Amino acid sequence: MSKEYDAEQETFMGVPRKKIPWFPTIDYSKCNFCMECDKFCPHNVYERRENEEKKLIVKNPYNCVVFCRACAKTCAVDALSFPDKREITKLIKELRKESE
Amino acid sequence: MGKKVCVLPCNGLDKSLGVVARNVALKLIEKNPDIELICPVLLNTGDEKYEELLKESDIIVIDGCMTRCATKLLDERSLRPGKKIFTPDMVKKYKLNPGKSLILDEEGQKLAEFIASEILESLKESEGEVAEIRELEEIEYFETTVDKFRFRVPKSGYYFNENDCWVKPMGKKALMGISDFLQNMASDIIFVEFPEIGLEFEQFDDIGSFESIKIVLQLITPASGKVVAVNKELEKSPELLNQDPYGKGWFVEVELKNFEEDKELLMDGPAYFEYMKKKIEEERKHRAQNIGD
Repeated sequence: MSKEYDAEQETFMGVPRKKIPWFPTIDYSKCNFCMECDKFCPHNVYERRENEEKKLIVKNPYNCVVFCRACAKTCAVDALSFPDKREITKLIKELRKESE
Repeated sequence: MGKKVCVLPCNGLDKSLGVVARNVALKLIEKNPDIELICPVLLNTGDEKYEELLKESDIIVIDGCMTRCATKLLDERSLRPGKKIFTPDMVKKYKLNPGKSLILDEEGQKLAEFIASEILESLKESEGEVAEIRELEEIEYFETTVDKFRFRVPKSGYYFNENDCWVKPMGKKALMGISDFLQNMASDIIFVEFPEIGLEFEQFDDIGSFESIKIVLQLITPASGKVVAVNKELEKSPELLNQDPYGKGWFVEVELKNFEEDKELLMDGPAYFEYMKKKIEEERKHRAQNIGD
């Protein structure tokens, strides 16, 4: 299922995907670069960097499926966080109203 | 314990959380000599030693990372786990984090101890548990077939979110589950993990997961509410999620909290059917591209 979404055109619930700030943030003070999240995510959200200090980055944040937090479950050291779901739902509602 | 119980752990020579998995298994057989240990490496050689045992036992699978070797070994034999532990979950639950060493430190030992106790407790609880059988009425479907895969969507009575999960309101209560799109994406589902009964959740919360060899997916709630029941039948027969995702493969029963408002963000049957067809088409295009690259 690995694929590159065309984030420019993607919408979620009628809202342009890029207007919804839903994606993981890596806490580098906790991350031990075990790469379990990257192995898990089928949407190419993460990218490994061989020769850099940050060996894993969030490369394609808008590939992330809104409301999915499944990768965080694979992280034993709890280094992945997502925005508050209620805030995001509220934002989507507002953006939907605006576009009506 | 009525039925035999055996434990199949991760081999535990790659990561410290694998070592924890292996140690949990060792503690289990030490504390309860009736539990039998399956060596994953020996099993992998195709040795017949475990054949009978595996067929007649409830199998506890303990994985130490997302590679899920123990789960895969079982699936290769078309067997289903009775219980499954994923040690990274337990690190968070018990707030004990073993270091990277393959020789377990004190925290790792403690963690293994806690997990083993939890499993032994749950074995006591599950004795005499009976799955609830729910009569469901006949469903009328929209249907499309793509590359031999059949995708159906109930014409009415079901509401969907864009995460391909459904809610079927029945007065103040409702059933929730996954759509044909999601089950087809996952292919053969081998294990489900339920939320606790009584859990209160918001719309779009993730409250449970189901996994195939390919992927682990979550149920993202189409509406807010409280869990009142889970479909225990899926523990024995997770394939119901593939065969009948809108009927016998229901996932949880809930008490709805604010459905009238939640509904504004959902699609009905006809709208979801159109949405799903587009999604299938996109998926096909991406696959064709990937093959072409």
